Amino acid sequence: MKVVGITTQQEVYVGSKDRNFRINEFLIISDPYQGDLMGEIVEAKTYNKYIPLSIHGELADSSVIESLKALGYNIEEDTIYIGKIRLLNEALYPVETGCDVRIPTFDEVKDIMINSPADEGLILGVIKNTDQMAKDMDEEYKNLLYTFEEGELKKQRDIPYIFNIRSMHQYPHIGVFGGSGSGKSFGLRVVLEELMKLNIPTIVLDPHFEMDFSQRGDYMPKEEEIDYRDKFKCLQVGFHVGVRFEDLSPQDLKNLLDASSPLTDAMNNVVDILFKRNDSYNSFYNRLKMLAEAQEEGSLDRIQLRIDSADSNLEREGWLKRKELFLTYDKTCPYNSVRGIIWRLNRLYNEGIFSKDIREIEDGLNMGKLIVIQGNTRILQVFSTYLLNNLYHRRRDYKDALYKKTTAEYFPPFIVVTDEAHNFAPKGYDSPSKSILKEISQEGRKYGTFLILATQRPTLLDETITAQLNTKFIFRTVRASDIQTIQEETDITVEEARRLPYLRTGDVFISEALMGRTIFARIRAAHTTSPHTENPFDELKNISKAEDEKFMQIIKNKLPINGDDFINVIKEIERDTGITYTVNIFEDKLEDLVTKGLIKKEKTPFFNIYKEI
Amino acid sequence: MYTIANELKDKIVYLNKVLSEKYSQVLSLDEMFLREFIEENVGPIRKVNKLTEEELAYYYQKGGILGVDGSRNRVGGAYPHFVEIYQGLAKSTIYKDKPIYKADFYSPLYDEKGEFPIEDSIEEEESIRNRKLSTIEIEAALEGIRQLKPYAVIMDGSLIRYDIESFTRWMELRRECEEKDIILVGVIKDIKTSIIGELLKEDKELNIEECFHDRELLYGMLEYGEMISIHGEVTKKAKEGFSSLFMRSSKAPTVIGMDLLDSQKKYLEEMARLVLTLTPEDGRGVPLWIDIVDSEVKISDKMIRGLLESYLDRQILEMLFISERDKRTL
Repeated sequence: MKVVGITTQQEVYVGSKDRNFRINEFLIISDPYQGDLMGEIVEAKTYNKYIPLSIHGELADSSVIESLKALGYNIEEDTIYIGKIRLLNEALYPVETGCDVRIPTFDEVKDIMINSPADEGLILGVIKNTDQMAKDMDEEYKNLLYTFEEGELKKQRDIPYIFNIRSMHQYPHIGVFGGSGSGKSFGLRVVLEELMKLNIPTIVLDPHFEMDFSQRGDYMPKEEEIDYRDKFKCLQVGFHVGVRFEDLSPQDLKNLLDASSPLTDAMNNVVDILFKRNDSYNSFYNRLKMLAEAQEEGSLDRIQLRIDSADSNLEREGWLKRKELFLTYDKTCPYNSVRGIIWRLNRLYNEGIFSKDIREIEDGLNMGKLIVIQGNTRILQVFSTYLLNNLYHRRRDYKDALYKKTTAEYFPPFIVVTDEAHNFAPKGYDSPSKSILKEISQEGRKYGTFLILATQRPTLLDETITAQLNTKFIFRTVRASDIQTIQEETDITVEEARRLPYLRTGDVFISEALMGRTIFARIRAAHTTSPHTENPFDELKNISKAEDEKFMQIIKNKLPINGDDFINVIKEIERDTGITYTVNIFEDKLEDLVTKGLIKKEKTPFFNIYKEI
Repeated sequence: MYTIANELKDKIVYLNKVLSEKYSQVLSLDEMFLREFIEENVGPIRKVNKLTEEELAYYYQKGGILGVDGSRNRVGGAYPHFVEIYQGLAKSTIYKDKPIYKADFYSPLYDEKGEFPIEDSIEEEESIRNRKLSTIEIEAALEGIRQLKPYAVIMDGSLIRYDIESFTRWMELRRECEEKDIILVGVIKDIKTSIIGELLKEDKELNIEECFHDRELLYGMLEYGEMISIHGEVTKKAKEGFSSLFMRSSKAPTVIGMDLLDSQKKYLEEMARLVLTLTPEDGRGVPLWIDIVDSEVKISDKMIRGLLESYLDRQILEMLFISERDKRTL
């Protein structure tokens, strides 16, 4: 391998007669004057001067090439390989043309490949095309993981990519971008597995109900299996966890109601006026309800009439109370706004949000567990607003107290992870969860609260937040607007951006502030699998097969069945199994079995006979 | 700026008129008639097939094919201030790492053997240059034969050229090939003969006055893979001891010619098949092997310039070989 052609301080071409170049491969240029220069292949080409690209028909056709081969001349051996190397650090002078190029040893690249000990970082995958340097790698970094290549599990051959989690203190927050099917959710799963291994307290907002780690990947060798079952907890909003109404501040409540459906100024006002500290759900709800009922009467006279004509003491007292509310609040709380609040409150109540609390989440985090919060996107938006505000401020209060030398209850640092982050922090309009995510993105670093945000639409994610993501994992992306955004927000090169639509599933560009350059990596095989991995078409097939088998079992000892005897057979089945068929459906089902070849049909002049095969 | 002088245009229109008149006779000749005429007077038209894999494997065993070609580059201006550089290459399909290169140069400024033309006869000077090129090609072929022992040698161009231009060396090559039973073939990309044309002219019944070239007559007449092996008596080459054939070796309508030694006449068809095998179907009709050798022997003018600039004293170069034209920048 030699440097060829015109060189610059940043880029050189390297040519070889017998060795093809791979993209993102690292090579060392031995410049006689400037010493060893490290570079990365950014473009690779091959060329054969005898097989030129020609559209005028003057192409050496394969039969001639084969004939020449039979005569001993292999034209393909005249192929030359050309790679474009970009130097990692700009050289002082242009590289000397003609100087040798060689493959670096592990020690020479260790510093730019690995920046964390294997047991302290997140082992996320391998750095692609580094197998030649991995041979003399330290034992510590060998056999850490498996990868999936072409549907097959492969042992680790390359240098591992280890994310230095400690560096998040300096360079906080991670973004995970990639279109659907690019390996984004899968990459997130691997990140979460690694966080669990290190017992880092983590909150995962899971709108897809997929972040369950109890199902082990059956492809992994037995001895490599890791059990994550006691390291995480799936909690559903409204079922396992919820909001304790008594703990809500007026702002919390407004956020919640707003997340349910946006509030007007008047509605905000109603909450401010009507909501009292330590209100329970019932006391607040009743206050609203009674005020609304009083307002429905329309005037003081009519309420008075209600009081006077009350049948019982209880009713009278009720209306007296309503009158009092009416007198105090009617001027400041318009009827429509009060109804709006009632409607929103009802909706939240029906979703079960007020029936539980977040104790379990806090306990889990304190134990260093990964807490997966599940629910549909809207509920998660509502709940996460409350939850993150709550947890972040607990952490913040603790740290601030330390600083002020007062006391506060300990609360651990934690990481917030969410898929479909553009739903939680959308660009262009306000959403309650956005303000807390923005706050964490801007000052979470000081308090040890970090974000890992995954989205398939980086363009739709709030820009202030995107700007704070110091590390970005970029999977295959096809949309031009998203590629544009990615190019603006990261240090990936034009060549790399051009490759984005063609990346294989699980291949990823990692743009890391700590490294100062983009790494091309492949995510490792996950130890666990998502509960949604069954192909829906397999599911259909299996279901219909199971149905057929069930029906076969039922009719098996009734065969042969005569076509004029359906009624009796159906009666017998109903008696034995409690399942009722109509004659038509029964006949259809039998016919179906015939076409599937499970039973056979014989025609007689009077009726069909269905028989066993 | 892009206007064309009217006179120039008129001249070209005139040329077109003259040529179409002249060739109307050829163009109107019936193809079937011409084919019959050729079969009767020139030689049989036969369709040949490509070589089989076994035959190729046999060639490989027997030493493969040696391709020979030469190149010339000229630097400088008008006589006698120029130098011409010749390079010959013999390359075997088997020993691809052992190409045999030969080089020579010629400049009227340097009298090698006192053979300067007494007068400044351009023809004679030209013949020296041709001799140099032919000789260098023959030398490359000779060394190739001795070192690489091929089954057959394919030379770029007519064999008769060597006979005329470099007789003694040629006889040497010829003798060695005959002794060692190595087949010697010349492949002519641009045929310049007029064997058929002359016969047509001689035929009194046809009343054709002009003598047409074979290239014109055979254009588009043969099918892909068809060859005409020429009777000895109709070609002048036979006297010098050559056998020849025409063949359409690709889908392009042009026809190539091939020369063999008379003593190796029996290989005529076999060699036609070899050339057909090595020629891309959609190509210009030239065997790929010849193209490969050609591209390897060729030196770019830039490279020659570079060589001269590096190894000639600047003064000599400037004084003798840089012409006014080379310095023109417009």
